[in-house]
Amino acid sequence: MAPPQPQQVHLSPAELSFLRATLCQDPPLRFDHTKRPNDFRSMRAECDVLPGANGSARIALDDGTEALVGVKAEVERSQWRPSLEARGSGLAGDAEMRDADDDDDAAATGRGQDAWIEMSVEIPGFRDDDALPVFLASMLTESLLASGGLKDRLYINSRFHWKLYIDILLLSPPLSYPLALLSMTTHLALLTARLPALKSEQDEDPLFDDDWDAAVFLYPKSKANAPDDKPPVIVLAMAVGPNIIFDPCMEELAVADAVLAIACANATASSTRARIVSVRTIDPPSHLTPPGVPNSMNSATGGTVPASSAEALTQRELLANSGVWTPPRGGMKRGLISQVVKMVVEEGGVAEEVISALQAIELG
Amino acid sequence: MEYFSLKRSTAADRAGANLSSKVYVRSTKSGKVQKIVRELYLRNDIPCSSNLCRACLDIAPADFNQKTAPFVLSDTPAGSKDYPNGIYLVPDTNAFLTGMDLFEVENAFHDVIVLQTVLEEVKNRSLPLYHRLIALTKHENKRFYVFFNEFRQETHVPRDSGETINDRNDRAVRRAVQWYNEHITQAVTARSKQQTRVPTVVMLTDDRDCLRKAKADKIPSSTLADFVFGLENADELLDMMSAAQDQREVRSKKTELFYSEHYTISKMMTGVKAGVLHQGIFNVSPYNYLEASVHVPAFEKSLLVLGRENGNRAVSGDVVVVEILPQDQWKAPSTKIIEEETVNKNDNPEVEDGENIVSEKERKALQEEVKRAHGQSTEGRPQPTARVVGIVKRNWRQYVGHIDRDSVRTTSKSARQQQMVFLVPMDKRVPKIRIRTRQAGELLGQRVLATIDSWDRDSRYPMGHFVRSLGELESKGAETEALLLEWDVQYKPFPKTVLDCLPAEGHDWKVPASTDDPGWKGRKDLRDLLVCSIDPPGCVDIDDALHARKLPNGNFEVGVHIADVSHFVKPNNAMDKEASQRGTTVYLVDKRIDMLPMLLGTDLCSLKPYVERYAFSVLWEITPDADIVDSQFTKSVIRSREAFSYEQAQIRIDDTGAQDDLTTGMRTLLMLSKKLKQKRYDAGALNLASPEVKVQTESETSDPVDVQTKRLLDTNSLVEEFMLLANISVAAKNYSAFPQTALLRRHGAPPKTNFEELANQLKVKKGLELRTDTSKALADSLDTCVEESEPFFNTLVRIMATRCMMSAEYFCAGTQAYPEFRHYGLASEIYTHFTSPIRRYADLEAHRQLAAAIDYEPLDASLHSKAKLEGVCKNINVRHRNAQMAGRASIEYYVGQALKGKDITEEGFVMKVFSNGFVVFVPRFGIESLIRLRDLATPEPEAEFDGENYVLSVKGGVNREVELFQKVNVRITDEVEESTGKRKVKLTLV
Repeated sequence: MAPPQPQQVHLSPAELSFLRATLCQDPPLRFDHTKRPNDFRSMRAECDVLPGANGSARIALDDGTEALVGVKAEVERSQWRPSLEARGSGLAGDAEMRDADDDDDAAATGRGQDAWIEMSVEIPGFRDDDALPVFLASMLTESLLASGGLKDRLYINSRFHWKLYIDILLLSPPLSYPLALLSMTTHLALLTARLPALKSEQDEDPLFDDDWDAAVFLYPKSKANAPDDKPPVIVLAMAVGPNIIFDPCMEELAVADAVLAIACANATASSTRARIVSVRTIDPPSHLTPPGVPNSMNSATGGTVPASSAEALTQRELLANSGVWTPPRGGMKRGLISQVVKMVVEEGGVAEEVISALQAIELG
Repeated sequence: MEYFSLKRSTAADRAGANLSSKVYVRSTKSGKVQKIVRELYLRNDIPCSSNLCRACLDIAPADFNQKTAPFVLSDTPAGSKDYPNGIYLVPDTNAFLTGMDLFEVENAFHDVIVLQTVLEEVKNRSLPLYHRLIALTKHENKRFYVFFNEFRQETHVPRDSGETINDRNDRAVRRAVQWYNEHITQAVTARSKQQTRVPTVVMLTDDRDCLRKAKADKIPSSTLADFVFGLENADELLDMMSAAQDQREVRSKKTELFYSEHYTISKMMTGVKAGVLHQGIFNVSPYNYLEASVHVPAFEKSLLVLGRENGNRAVSGDVVVVEILPQDQWKAPSTKIIEEETVNKNDNPEVEDGENIVSEKERKALQEEVKRAHGQSTEGRPQPTARVVGIVKRNWRQYVGHIDRDSVRTTSKSARQQQMVFLVPMDKRVPKIRIRTRQAGELLGQRVLATIDSWDRDSRYPMGHFVRSLGELESKGAETEALLLEWDVQYKPFPKTVLDCLPAEGHDWKVPASTDDPGWKGRKDLRDLLVCSIDPPGCVDIDDALHARKLPNGNFEVGVHIADVSHFVKPNNAMDKEASQRGTTVYLVDKRIDMLPMLLGTDLCSLKPYVERYAFSVLWEITPDADIVDSQFTKSVIRSREAFSYEQAQIRIDDTGAQDDLTTGMRTLLMLSKKLKQKRYDAGALNLASPEVKVQTESETSDPVDVQTKRLLDTNSLVEEFMLLANISVAAKNYSAFPQTALLRRHGAPPKTNFEELANQLKVKKGLELRTDTSKALADSLDTCVEESEPFFNTLVRIMATRCMMSAEYFCAGTQAYPEFRHYGLASEIYTHFTSPIRRYADLEAHRQLAAAIDYEPLDASLHSKAKLEGVCKNINVRHRNAQMAGRASIEYYVGQALKGKDITEEGFVMKVFSNGFVVFVPRFGIESLIRLRDLATPEPEAEFDGENYVLSVKGGVNREVELFQKVNVRITDEVEESTGKRKVKLTLV
């Protein structure tokens, strides 16, 4: 996958080095020193901001990044797909149709299609075919499709379905890596999204109740305490040395060893409260931050410039622990990944915390 | 963090409570489903419109001319026993739906406040009722005021969460009533300290819950029935309430269902789209009320719907969805006459216990049908039958009929007892209507107008209510009004807005003397031409005039001059709108219902002799062989030298002594017209016939004296030929100028199947061949259908052939391909109506288009829009047909009246043979009547029906054969039917 476009951080090698050192401490000292490693940045959120959309939400972070998501649904004619249990020929058709209706609930899963959800991400200063929006959109779509019942709920009947358009708009320049923000806003928008209530039956042309108050939630809310199905939310975790830090800000990302995007949803049936939907590593911007140049390699300070790049590399290896800023290289350790996953899904972990916090916004 | 919400609702807190919004889901025709958010800006300046209120007068918004709308509600509204200080009524939606006829009554229900909430609900529930309500609000004397309660801040009611729309609307109505009461009280106190007469604003609703809540909030309220009960003529008024509601309550205990349930709309639409179900108009056969046909686009021939059960509560004219029945239930179309009146004479409208959907007698009648269908071979082969599964659109209208005497229990006028009676509609295709009335005694023997309200599954007949009485049966006024209502002819006098569009000079209007006058701009001065008009005797609306003169080069100049109506009727003013609604002038025997006000029709536009008139002229140069060299169109001024009747003109032409220029001109016209006619016939034009009779009436009382068949003179066809020529020329010109929007008239070629039966009848009975490949072939083969001994036979065949044709229709050029423009009957490629603008709206539109085509004046925007023109065409097509039907019905009525008390023996011809009767046509009177077997002798004689040879052999004492095309002598008498008190022409075989 194409790497996201870098957000240039203008910090000197010395500053970067200092930042990294503080983050590696135990306990780590974050850029915003009031925050603990799994604290999220404070944010303001509201939902139902776009009256014309089926569902919408808006979240602003305190660093000024702000995202707006609108969800729109349109009725679309399904393409006829010959299914395996062929609908029979002529005479038997009617009877089989009735059979098919009987086991409707059983067949309810798996009749949705991926193409029924279309997502577009717009970021100021980027074209819609630039790497960053495309990459973000595909990660968000991927988690949404993987999380379960959504696309099945878009099924109306064998001839019609809802097509869901999720339009994500970043209102500010992408100061930090906006994936988590966009994901949370989308989560909130989907939670509030509603579809007009269906009045027609079975395979008839769909007819809907014209009362908006009768519209049903895309993610139905059950009355009992049973956990509802909820859209997934992506949290960003980064590793610096031995430490794991959630929801890193732009400056912290500049020194990350590795970055993980973890899509999690609340589990409806398992013992834990949350489950992982998908995990992706993200090429950390720190890989692209310019390295510091030690005095020994700087002709201005009397050093000698290495003759070849291979020589420069060797020299840098040697200087790795000397406090001069060098971009981290290589991937993430397995142990670290499992540690992150554990922190996300465990009882009272990050996932549960985020999901319930977003839920509270919607209710309030 | 400074943070502003994007939400409008929170912003509204700061801006004050003048903003609200409404959210709903809209489904578009193309299947899109949209969430719609409407923002409402609430205002404080919507007036209460009561003449008692001064405050509202100050705040009422003014229009562009700084005028405020005059206040509607009276300052001294009528009171009642409960509310002696006067009442302003606020009906809720259901009150309007059930009692619209009540509100339309002249002498009650004044000062009514129609809330916006209610108006919108009425619109959603029933569009026709909505239009009637709108018409009421425009009525000056009724004082109905539409109050936009949803837009006024005090009366706007936001929907609570969890509240249904209905509850919210009820609450809005209550809130409005409450506000009105407070407001009026305030207004009266502000007006003067002494005045104590404060009118009460009363809500009318039948909703129990709403009434209870109103009572709790101390809002004056009443049910519609209770309110009406307190009025003076309560008996009549109560009859006018829709029966739809109370019926349900009364019969809720019984659950016997006669009809199957209708499908849901979506199920029907899906089925129609998928081609499993079919949609069409439900047409009941005029001979057999149990048989209906539905023409659906999928098949060439119509589907049959047999029996009440399959008809499933459809009434003739409804748009229905049908399902085809399995093949073993297919049947041949009926050869039997079944009339509801005779089969179900003894039904009791009150008791429905022993009632089945198919009564025993009906069932027997159907059984015989089936037997027949099975016995037949090729000719009567079973046809696909269908069953109505749902109704897309009810086309219920108001029906004229009379009360079935047998259904009335007590005829005593003093007994104010409510009873259920049957109304037998004039239109035989409409089932009897059950009506609840308190005035059965009075209504017997009267023409009564009623409507259908509902037809539930548990009721065998539709339920309706009384609207008004038209008068005694058989009285001229009642019968004329009845047929006008039946054919939906607008016969009310022209409203003031229309009359305001007339020229201010009135009858003194003259063509301006000075040719510098703007009226002369673009007009040719044709005053020196020797123009004359030829019309039926007594014609006052003279549309057309003609002239002909020899040109130096040996050719002739022929001119057709048409009244320039478009000069007086400008597009889109009130007069134009009224004319486009009426579509055509309707000619009844003793009455003419004009499309345009008298002043224009019979004076200013009419090309009267000896005066100058504006005209629209078509001028041709024609060779002596009647070939057209050149044609011109121009607006002109003419002076007609003489107005002839056909007869006078004929005499003048035949008079060899007359050699003046005018007469020679007429002879030229006659000579040319004969050549033109020959050319037309050579091209394949049809000479069709329809029975035309003329009723002679006494001039004073217009009582019918005698009936005559119309005589056709050469001069009739003289005028006709040139009118056809003018129409064709104008059609071509308009089409070349406006290929998309020209208004034209077409006559489709009839499908071959239409002629099948007639061709077969001719072949079997007379050994004649009817070829129908082209109009030319048909014309030729019709010419061969002659019988030496019987000259009328040819006319009879032509009459029957005419009935097989399609009807001609107006259309807009852009909606059809050029080959479809063809006029089958006239064998013309293109045709329009241009020559009678005084009496047809289509001609007026053609005038406007032609005026634009010759650059006389710019074309109005409404004539540029294809959609608008299509609407116009649709309306005038219907109006045109209805006018014809009304005219025919009028003649029929007068023929009946002329024959009253007479006993004549006349020649007749058998036109149609059924298994239990036959139809005889009497050319002398142009009447067509059914003779049933049981009319021949009592008891009803046995008869054998040979459907393949169209022979009915009557056994028993009568012992004779009746066959198709047979010439028979019939005795014509009239009789009054006992049960109905209706007079009918009765034919009996001699």
